Amino acid sequence: MPETAATAIEFAGVTKRYESAVAVEDLDLAIPAGLITTFVGPSGCGKTTSLRMINRMVEATEGTILIQGEDNRDRPAHELRRSMGYVMQQAGLMPHRTVADNIATVPRLKGASRADGRARALELMDTVGLDRKLAKRYPAQLSGGQAQRVGVARALAADSPILLMDEPFSAVDPVVRTDLQNELVRLHEQLERTIVFVTHDIDEAVALGHRIAVFGEGGRIAQFGTPEEILRAPADDFVASFVGRDRGLRRLTFASGQELPMHPLEGGTASGLERPWAPWELLLDDAARPAGWRFGEREVTGGTLFTPGGSLREALDAVLSSPSGWGVAVDDAGRAAGLIASDDVMAAAGRERRSRYGVGE
Amino acid sequence: MNVLEQTWKWFADPASWTGAGGIWSRLVEHLGYSGLVLLIAAVIALPVGVLVGHRRSGGNVVVGVAGALRALPTLGLLTLFALWIGLGLTAPVLALVLLAIAPLLTGAYAGVSAVDPVVVDAARAQGLTEWQILTRVELPVAVPVIFGGIRNATLQVIATVTIMAYIDLGGLGRFLIDGLAVRDYSRMVASMILAAALALVLDAVLAGAQKLLSSPGLSKED
Ligand SMILES: Nc1ncnc2c1ncn2[C@@H]1O[C@H](COP(=O)(O)OP(=O)(O)OP(=O)(O)O)[C@@H](O)[C@H]1O
Ligand SMILES: [Mg+2]
Repeated sequence: MPETAATAIEFAGVTKRYESAVAVEDLDLAIPAGLITTFVGPSGCGKTTSLRMINRMVEATEGTILIQGEDNRDRPAHELRRSMGYVMQQAGLMPHRTVADNIATVPRLKGASRADGRARALELMDTVGLDRKLAKRYPAQLSGGQAQRVGVARALAADSPILLMDEPFSAVDPVVRTDLQNELVRLHEQLERTIVFVTHDIDEAVALGHRIAVFGEGGRIAQFGTPEEILRAPADDFVASFVGRDRGLRRLTFASGQELPMHPLEGGTASGLERPWAPWELLLDDAARPAGWRFGEREVTGGTLFTPGGSLREALDAVLSSPSGWGVAVDDAGRAAGLIASDDVMAAAGRERRSRYGVGE
Repeated sequence: MNVLEQTWKWFADPASWTGAGGIWSRLVEHLGYSGLVLLIAAVIALPVGVLVGHRRSGGNVVVGVAGALRALPTLGLLTLFALWIGLGLTAPVLALVLLAIAPLLTGAYAGVSAVDPVVVDAARAQGLTEWQILTRVELPVAVPVIFGGIRNATLQVIATVTIMAYIDLGGLGRFLIDGLAVRDYSRMVASMILAAALALVLDAVLAGAQKLLSSPGLSKED
């Protein structure tokens, strides 16, 4: 991830006024190229309006928006729009066209042949993790998550360096949402596009954004910076209250859990001969994956798992959600790899805090 | 012999079918009038309905106009126009065009305006021009509803073209008027059976065309 990047999109004194209200006021913002920038803020603060002014789905009342240094009003709106992908909350797929035809919309508009459009669509289905078998289906035959992936594939088909996304994952259930978020991060690493991502969920903004623009009332930017900067040093009370009470917890998202001591399943070595989690007993299935805990006659389902590469926040959650109070760590194949003690997690969080402020130890 | 038996006998007689006033030539006349009326009405009503639907404003006017047109009695209009313009084809065609406009206009307007605004917004954001949105998104998606209007108009026109015979024109209505004049009820029944059969056949043809033109993605099944 380049730390100082060129500017992909620049708002210069941009205002959008409606008869009834000012949606965005005198916005100045430089969105770095090749990174994910998230717009976050409470409802009605002008995030969508700002995003849609980039591709002129909304025309600015005042000010200019430069796309790679060029005024976005220098060419016809439809050409500008073909040059950047756009994904919104509802996929908005054309119901009378197949999945493949929907994805190939922009290539076809730009003059690609049917066969080329189709080939490109199939490639993109691989990219976004859609089974090629769905190519000939119609949108009505897709699940919400699948439709949203088709929407992302369609936006990628523009082959443009810029991707605009307006709450693209907020209409799918939380499990699918996490999947899609992870995949967006993977896609971004692979394709290195400039992504502007609107959300009102601070967790999503932190998880995805290399930069976060926190919008306040009336389309003003309350703070613009990296997620760490915003969580560590909110610019004002508004930002502090928006990033919320869980701020300390969220910060653990940025701390690695790799240094945590791992207690072997069979006990011994690290923790003496006794198994310190007794009388709880960890249950494993045939493939050695965790399958819950036993306490005497009772069997209880387990908590969340700590996966390789996980953050301290994940480790803390594994500990807090486990019936025994011991977090279960798994390897890449999902097999139980060891147990994590809550004291170790708290100690690691303390070390993280001290190293952040450079005091103690 | 009751009326139905007489009607059957009339249908069975080859002489009823051929010649200048025979069933075949009346059918052709009936189809010709209906086609002319529907064509004129479609040229007026479909573009207006589609454009108002695309702009998504002015819908109230369309609904109001269509409602007003529906309330007009076609026979009364025919009489009025005939008195005003004189006998001939113009007066009845005008009256029938007014009849056909209402279902065509509402079908086109309802079909296009019912296209999910999110889909239209997404299409615009992908870079489709307004004309491309109309021709590649709104019209294809609206096909089933627009065809509903066309089929509706066709049924009404086929049934009502019989009034052409009142002012001495041809069509299947002739059997009705002529039968009434000589109290030959079997021929009146035959006239209605023929008009109904024609309407059913045309509706089936239009249903086939609708199926061909509608994307499978628009049907509600699976
Ligand atoms: N077409 C419009 N006409 C009038 N006012 C509008 C229009 N579109 C947006 N607004 C107003 O502009 C303000 C900003 O709207 P916008 O949709 O950008 O908010 P948002 O930050 O995306 O909110 P949300 O999180 O709810 O999506 C709101 O007060 C809204 O009511
Ligand atoms: Mg919004």
